[in-house]
This record gives sequence, C-alpha cells and structure tokens, in this order.
Amino acid sequence: MDLLFFKASLTVYLISTLGYVMSLIAKRVLVARISTGIMAVAFLLHSVYLITRYLHIGFSPVLTRYDTLSFFTWVLAGIYLILQFRTKTRVLGAFVAPVTSLLMIMASAGLEEAVTIPEMLQGGLVTVHAALSVAGEALFVLACCAGAMYLIQDGFIKKRKVNPFSRLLPSLRDLDRINHVCLVVGFPLLTLGVLAGSIWARSVWGSHWQWDPKQVWTLVAWIVYAVLLHQRLAIGWKGHRAALFSILSLVVLFLSLLIVNRCFLTVHSFV
Amino acid sequence: MSLVIIGMNHRTAPLQIRERLSPAPCGDRQNPLPLLIAISDVREALYLATCNRVEILADICESNRAVSAIQEFLIREGQICADELQGYIYIHYGSDAVRHLFRVASSLDSLVMGEPQILGQLKEAYRQAVEGRATGVVLNKLLHHAFRVAKRVRTETGIASHAVSVSFAAVGLAKKIFGSLEGKTILLVGAGEMSELAARHLMNHGADKVRIANRTYKRALQMAEEFHGMAVPFENLSESLRSVDIVISSTGAPGYVIDRDMVAEALRRRMNRLFFLIDIAVPRDIDPAAGQIDNVYLYNIDDLQDFVDENRQKRQEEARKAALIIDEEVEAYQSWFDTLKVVPTIVSLREKLEGIVRGELERSGSWIQQMNDGERQRIENLIGAIVNKILHDPITGLKEESRDHDAIPYVATIRRLFRLDG
Repeated sequence: MDLLFFKASLTVYLISTLGYVMSLIAKRVLVARISTGIMAVAFLLHSVYLITRYLHIGFSPVLTRYDTLSFFTWVLAGIYLILQFRTKTRVLGAFVAPVTSLLMIMASAGLEEAVTIPEMLQGGLVTVHAALSVAGEALFVLACCAGAMYLIQDGFIKKRKVNPFSRLLPSLRDLDRINHVCLVVGFPLLTLGVLAGSIWARSVWGSHWQWDPKQVWTLVAWIVYAVLLHQRLAIGWKGHRAALFSILSLVVLFLSLLIVNRCFLTVHSFV
Repeated sequence: MSLVIIGMNHRTAPLQIRERLSPAPCGDRQNPLPLLIAISDVREALYLATCNRVEILADICESNRAVSAIQEFLIREGQICADELQGYIYIHYGSDAVRHLFRVASSLDSLVMGEPQILGQLKEAYRQAVEGRATGVVLNKLLHHAFRVAKRVRTETGIASHAVSVSFAAVGLAKKIFGSLEGKTILLVGAGEMSELAARHLMNHGADKVRIANRTYKRALQMAEEFHGMAVPFENLSESLRSVDIVISSTGAPGYVIDRDMVAEALRRRMNRLFFLIDIAVPRDIDPAAGQIDNVYLYNIDDLQDFVDENRQKRQEEARKAALIIDEEVEAYQSWFDTLKVVPTIVSLREKLEGIVRGELERSGSWIQQMNDGERQRIENLIGAIVNKILHDPITGLKEESRDHDAIPYVATIRRLFRLDG
C-alpha cells in the first residue's frame, strides 16, 4: 500500500522532470508552468506515502538510508514549490526536478527491504535530529542549484553573450536572493539538527562528542557554512563569490554524507 | 468618400517642425481636432501626434479641396512656410492610407521598429477623437481593425522580441541583472541624447531615481529638473557611485572618467550589490578593467551595438512577415470599405429580398403548384410588386443621400439590419 504511493509519486516526479526538460527545449513558459503543477501532484502523493509509510513501519520514515533519501526529496520538492509560488523563477524547476527524480530512484532501491533499525535509533529526539538535518541539507542543495544557475547566467552576461537560453534563466538578483534565503533558513535548521543529535548522543553513548569521522566532517561542513553565512551577512558577499562558495560548501557537506560512511569506521553508520 | 492620411515622421521632418504640431507631452498645445473637423469637406478625422510623428487621418468627400484645407491647417498650426511644407509631409490615399495606418499601428514605421508605445498613443488619439465626436462608421471600423492588425503582427511575428536600439538593449540587460528595475537608481554622467534616451527607457521600466553629474553644474541642474532627479557635483563622482545601481556615462572627456579603483571602492561601500555600468562615450569613459570585478557588469557602446545589429537582422526578417500580414489585412478592410458604396448595397439588398421570395415560394410548394400557370404568375407578380414597394423608399433615400450627403451611416445601418454581410 505505502509502496504504491511511492511508485506513483516517483512516476509523477519523472513526468514533471520530462516536462521541465521539454520547457527548456521548447523555451515555453507554459510547459514549465504545467510541469510545476505536475510536481505539486507528485509532492502530494509523496506526502501521502510518508504518512502511510509511518503507519506501516511504526516509526518516522527518516531513519534508514533509503527513507532519508525519500524524505530529503520531499523537503527539496516542498521548498522548491514554496519558492516557486513566492518568486518567478520557474526555470529553477528544471534543475530541481531531475534531482528529485534521481534521488527517488536511488531511494526506491532499498525501500522494499524489511525495515529494522537498531534499538538506539528509536526515540523522538533522533527523529528531530534526522528531520532537521535533512531539511537543512535540502535547503543547501537548493542554494547550490541557484548558485550554479547564477554562475551560468553571470558568465553569459560577463561575456556579453545573451542568448535564448540566458533569456530563460532568472535574473541574477533573483538567483542571488534564492541562494541567500536558502542559506539563511538552512543553516539554523542544520545547527538545531546537529544539536539535537549531540543531545541524543549523550543519552546513547554517554557524551556529546565522540570524535567520530562523521561528526568531524559534518562539523567542518558546518563551519564552512557558518563562514559563508558570516561573509554574506556581515561582509556583504553577494553574487558571484557567494554563489561559487555555496557550491563548494555543498561539496564538503556531501563528502561527509557519502564518503565518510563508506571509507571510515563510524558510529554514525546508519545514514 | 475617401480616406487620406497626411503626415510627417522622423524621416521626413526635423524635430523642430514636428514638435510645433505635437500636443503635450512633447509640446503644450491642445489637441487641434475641432479645427480639423470644422473643415467642411472632412467628415471624420483623427489627429495623432507623438514625438516622432504627426498624422492626420481623415475621411473626406471632395479630395482636392479637403487635402488643401488640411495642408493649410498644417501651415497655420505648425507655423511652417508654405513652400517648405511639401518637403516635410507625405500624403496617402485610399488603400495606401489604410496600409500606412496599419504599419504605424504595428510599429513598422517607428524610429525603433517594434517599440510598443505607438499603439498606446494611437489608442489615446482615437479615444480623443471619439470623445470629440470626430469619428464615424469609417474611422471606427478602421481604427479597430488597425488595433487588431497590430495585435496580430505582435503575436504572429517576433518583431517586438528583439531589442533594436541601444537603450532597449540596456533595459534588457538591466532586467537580466536586477530582475525588476523597481526602486533602482540611475546615475547619468555627462549629457547626451543617447544617454538621456537610455535613462528614459530604464525609467519607463521602473527605475525611479536619477542622479545627474555633469561638468557644468548648471546643465546638471537643468537635466535634473527634466528627469525629476537630483544634480550631484561632478567632483564627487566617486561618492555618487556608491548610492546608485546603474551608471550611464557619456562625457566628451578624452580619458577615463571612472577608473577601476573608483568602481572597486564603490562596490565595497555598497556591500557588493550588483552594479551595471553602461559606457556610451567615445572615447570610453570607464576603464574596461572595471568590468573584470565580480558583480560589476560593464557594457560599452560596441557591446550594446553588437546586440542591436544581431537583433536588427532578425527584426528585418520579422518585418517582412509583418508586411505580408498587413497586405492581407488591407485587402480585408478594403473589401469591407467597398461594400459601403451605395450601389453594391442596393444590389445585395435586392438579392436578399428576392432570395427570400424565391425560397418562400418553393417552400410553400403544394398549394401553389396546384394552381394553373396564370394564377401562379399573378401571385408572383403581386409579391414582386410588394417587395418593390417596400424597397422603393429606402433605395431612393440611399441614392439621394449619396448625392448630397454622406450615405455611409445609412449604408452601414442597412447592411447591419438586413445582415447583408452574412
């Protein structure tokens, strides 16, 4: 039952991705507008899936690796849709939609396995930790998307080549603002997520901090983001440099997420 | 009845002549429509005056008399020497006038081909004409047709989608950088027609504050008044740079007026907010090295011109497509216009009634078929006589009207009431 909703939402995400790609090729705003609607449907189906999933497995669907991916996608799509209704940057969808589809496909690989989670992962705080961290990371992904688009558009305008593709991209200021908002909202979320994690760590492992590779990497990424945010708010980093930095920061963050678990022995081996 | 356009535009007459005939905002005169409509041979009239053109569109009866009366009007109102007038104006009759109007409405005849303002100005001129009761059947239909043609040209060709002037290119770029120009501040460095035009375009798109720096402060004050802006001392240019978003520079200075360090410093002070510099001076005013700084976008006249040239070519192609549409529409209008003549209307009115009689006779079938030929003939004659009697008065009326007055309203009414246009 829950997987049925998952498959349905995955299919609809794929359709909306296709729609966005077509809107880029045809350079028609209407196609992108329809794709946004399709994505909203996918998001709703996905929401229904998360509820049924919760009812099915009996704990919040953010704790296993594949559930995390799916939750991550859900946050990403949700935030994008909110942004979409607040600003006029439909083309951002062409960058976000493929990411959602890809993540959903990755998530689909493991969702059918029997779900068991270790004793220590049960409890409300761990859900808070996972949900906040994942939401923060999703915002950083969006910040990175906006940053990448900024660099592309910036390159076009600097090189004095404004072609139909650059006409389709949002203005520099809109992209910079999305990047800004995503960082400003994402950073506190990640911070709170890390704090919740460390409180929970004390209750499980007896101390707030274990010098675990995963923890260290995440801290590094957190510091990188803290620096970026500081530069943005206090020093006035804007535009080109901020965009570039937000892409690099995401690389650091993802190293901690993807590489550390594979290459190091870590107590944080679940996700 | 016939249509005529007498006009002058940016190609045929210099600005100082055109502006004498323009009502506000270019000049401060009233719309002279009542004077036009008072000419006895002018039945309907429309007076369109913009900064770039003056057009008098009229439906007239006695061609030569009316045209010379309108020319006298131009000589009097524009204080133009009578001998010079012919060099400034063009006169189009009939379907050429229709074509010219359609071209004007679709912005094919504009200084900047495809610019959208002209349609609005034409609509305003038409509104004034309607309020002044200067239009009737012919111009009403013609103007509505012209608005439709303009819309069609706009949607079916790309005429309006490529910037073809330096200032349009500047607006397009500014929008790519700032999104909306709402609340943006422009700094004009030096005066010049092109920089003023660019500033005006940016303001039309939302930029609302203007600062003006000029070597002669008096001129800066003058321009500030014109733009509802603020004059700033030329010596304080570095400081002025900090509080503006868009700089348009066009001084006659031999060297750079704004160097890289000034821009870098200004950018630091403005917390790296995006900065758009337009250098339309030759030789250049702004050090090209400034364009390499992050968040600074520097365009000089050649960069903008490249856009324009590329777009102009595309627009020429679109203009050819537009000309085809206009030809088609002129023909459509002309065939409607021709129906307004009295004779074709009488013919089609007769045909319509005879058609009704024929149809009814056929439908009534059986009982008329049973009569013998003589009786049937008598009945048909009777019906024919009734139809003729009914038609007699309207037809004589139409003929009389067309002899001494304007029959068009009657023709149009009859065509509408009897649905002669299908």
